[in-house]
Amino acid sequence: MLSEASLAEIARERAKYPPERARSALLAALRIAQAEHGYLPETLVEYVAGLLELPAIQAFEVATFYSMYDLRPVGKYKFCVCGSVSCFLNGSDGILAHLQERLGVGLGETTPDGLFTIAEVECLGACKDAPVMQLGDRYVETLTPESLDVLIGQLRGGRDDVR
Amino acid sequence: MPRIEIDGQELEVSAGTTIMEAATQLGIYIPFFCYHPKLSVAANCRMCLVDVEKQAKPLPACATPASDGMKISTSSRRARMAQQGVLEFLLINHPLDCPICDQGGECPLQDVTMGYANPHSLYTEEKRVVEDKDIGPLIATEMTRCIQCTRCVRFGQEIGGIMELGATGRGEKMAIGTYVGRAVRSELSGNMIDLCPVGALTSKPFRYRARSWELKHTPSLCPHCSTGCSTDVQSLGREVLRVTPRINEAVNEEWICDRGRFAYAGLGASDRITRPLLRVNGRLQEVSWAEALDAAAAGLEQVLAENGPDSVSGVISPQSTNEELFLFQGLLRGLGVQAIEHRLRQTDFRADAAMPLYPALNMSLEHLEGESLVFLCHAYPREQQPLTNHRLRKSVLAGGQVWAVDSVRREFNYPVHGLVAEAGQDAALYRTLARCVQGLAEEDGAGLPAEVLEAACALRDAADPLLLVGSGVLQHPGAAGLMAAIAELAEAAGARVGWLAEAANSAGAWLLGCVPGRLPGGVPAGTDSRPPAGGAWDARFRAWILMGVEPGLDAMAAVQARQSLADARFVLTISAFLGEAEAYADVVLPMAVWAESAGSYFNNEGRLQSFRAAVKASGEARPAWKILRVLADHLQVADLAFDDLDSVRSAWETRLGDFPLDVPAFGGFPEGLALMEGAGSPGEGCRILGDWSIYQGDPLVRRSVPLQQPAGCRLHPETAARQGLRDGDMVELQGPGGQGTQLPLALDAGVAPGAIWLSLGHPGTQALGGVGATVVLARAGVSAGAQA
Repeated sequence: MLSEASLAEIARERAKYPPERARSALLAALRIAQAEHGYLPETLVEYVAGLLELPAIQAFEVATFYSMYDLRPVGKYKFCVCGSVSCFLNGSDGILAHLQERLGVGLGETTPDGLFTIAEVECLGACKDAPVMQLGDRYVETLTPESLDVLIGQLRGGRDDVR
Repeated sequence: MPRIEIDGQELEVSAGTTIMEAATQLGIYIPFFCYHPKLSVAANCRMCLVDVEKQAKPLPACATPASDGMKISTSSRRARMAQQGVLEFLLINHPLDCPICDQGGECPLQDVTMGYANPHSLYTEEKRVVEDKDIGPLIATEMTRCIQCTRCVRFGQEIGGIMELGATGRGEKMAIGTYVGRAVRSELSGNMIDLCPVGALTSKPFRYRARSWELKHTPSLCPHCSTGCSTDVQSLGREVLRVTPRINEAVNEEWICDRGRFAYAGLGASDRITRPLLRVNGRLQEVSWAEALDAAAAGLEQVLAENGPDSVSGVISPQSTNEELFLFQGLLRGLGVQAIEHRLRQTDFRADAAMPLYPALNMSLEHLEGESLVFLCHAYPREQQPLTNHRLRKSVLAGGQVWAVDSVRREFNYPVHGLVAEAGQDAALYRTLARCVQGLAEEDGAGLPAEVLEAACALRDAADPLLLVGSGVLQHPGAAGLMAAIAELAEAAGARVGWLAEAANSAGAWLLGCVPGRLPGGVPAGTDSRPPAGGAWDARFRAWILMGVEPGLDAMAAVQARQSLADARFVLTISAFLGEAEAYADVVLPMAVWAESAGSYFNNEGRLQSFRAAVKASGEARPAWKILRVLADHLQVADLAFDDLDSVRSAWETRLGDFPLDVPAFGGFPEGLALMEGAGSPGEGCRILGDWSIYQGDPLVRRSVPLQQPAGCRLHPETAARQGLRDGDMVELQGPGGQGTQLPLALDAGVAPGAIWLSLGHPGTQALGGVGATVVLARAGVSAGAQA
């Protein structure tokens, strides 16, 4: 179900922890599996649990807890908008509403062209620049509807080095 | 030793005691939901917040160790505000559907809300709704009611031993569920219903049947295995509606297994007999008790007169009470009948002389927890004695080791070292182990598998190992040889030996003389009273008295039993259910089942426990002891004219006298005992292995619809491949007598190559000849999976 490289990487993570602490390697193992597969289908979560000899439900608990794991296919760009206190007070609701209207899809959904997914996540720890969202491995801060429109235009144009 | 003060009362506690435990010692109640003394501390419901002097915030009593000088208040203004605040939060998303909730009336959330909540809520927004899950036929879910205390999750991990429920999602999306809609399979799952402090997990068979305050509670005993758990039978009118555990730390702590909890659903089976039946012109007809008793006495007297007492065989269920067992053997022996049997699953009786006074655990259940090395000899307590198994599980969690020697690799809910005999080589495996332990194996056993040597080393190095002999030994076609080999191993290893008694009152059946050759108290019955070769179903018998048994499903030699009963001159069945008796019984006397009658059992430890009737017997059914007593009257058997159950009890107590709880596990074996192993290969076919599954083992539990699981067979992948069979195929099996049946196949590398594992106790599997017989396999059809 996973490539040799991924399996080797998971084995390396597993070896970092004592034999009776397989659960500690779960976060890393799920991340590696998702990196290869794009998302974590239920069969893959169970497979990863099996690799670490853990009950499937234990891996499922972790995979559903963290918004960084995707249990369904997501778009090329996943807008993870923070909805916690600081961002909420600075209008994250409006940002999410604008995104949904502009992209024509709801929370947790992906545009038909497979480019964008919208998600609401818990605090990203960047309150001073609220409202904030995570896009891939970087943060986009002080969001406004206008800045989002510019960003979406740039991403549609194939630029993914936007700031 | 910290000294603390709770609500003005001073107390000295041992280090590490939590505030909750200290308060319990003082009899001060602190409200809680997630805390449970048998589970790990989660401290996630926050209901037990208390006010501790000099602490900035209220602290959870369940997770805070008492420290010296602590002054704690459970009812100060700050504590009360914390309690009210927590309840207000818990109730934000809890539906106020108590009027339609089964938990209503026995709900901690309801009670604590009544006692501690602020009657006004500030919350006016929408409540969350959680999707219900179907987690099987036993537990109903209403997950919107869940307060995420995670008791069920912790139970699965810490007590059940298989984690099936988990908390998925985060924050307000957190919900309890199984892995993507899977069913819960643990044999202890019903305890989660008791643990759930709200109505999220309730009993499915009990759903909407009654309100908890309408139920009558009768303290009772579980009649399904030799652990002898204490139960509470809850009834409404004539109907048993629910069975829950009673706390008994020495036996079942506060758990029972699903068999004990849900078997009551079989009480109302459609073939329940409520009037006596008599065969007239080949068909059973309802008659009066007087007619039926006359016919029963006349039928027996005729056979006794014409064929003699040696032509009568009496078979009684090992689930019967001591009073029933004592009267049964008294009645039969009064008639001169020697063939009295309760061991339906055994076929090899050559070592009867070596059997102990009774199958005794030879220790207390509680002490099992402290064992450091236990060898299970053909025993599967997880299904046969689930709460005894729980003690073994605790021993493993405490650092002990359990080895399971068996003819198949079983699935335990704790780490077990498995040792599987090759098909038909069970006794040889014990012999090999014994030789290895003695150190004789170097020259003749160089090629032994590593795990055999490892097991032998574990036994040799252990200070005080324990062998537990399971029902698989007695069910083996060469039981006598197997027992002798186990005795050899025990001798070589210097191990203590205990028996895991098969049925609820196997101990009572042995002690009270329901075996051929032994009178009550284990007194030898005389010279030649050994069972004949065919056991209770031998061809020399012409009449049978059956009590509480269904030989076609309960007997290992089911094929022979059915044949003998069909050919019999006279069969008297005393039973609660008609079942197969319709085919052969001449007279059927309806007896009250457990829950409808009273009596006593000896459990595996030799602990005498009694129970009383919870409900009235159905229709004209009568308690079995009364039936036996009236029959004795009709047949003019003296000394059994007891007027009440207490006098029966004092009669058997007098006959039995004092007996030791710990008894030698084996007596002397006969000289030159052949092992009777499966010599040679079974040719084209496969050798049958199998066992009665947890929900198939007795007439009551196999009638409990919510517990039923279909029959199946399991093969080693190699065996299957050789026969051209795949996982999920329907397999056509042909027994030695040509009987055939079709079963779904599952592949299982834990079954020895050349053997087939069957779930026994089903009509199809019982027709194939029992453990040790050979079946021929063929593919019956293509499964849905293979077509797709």
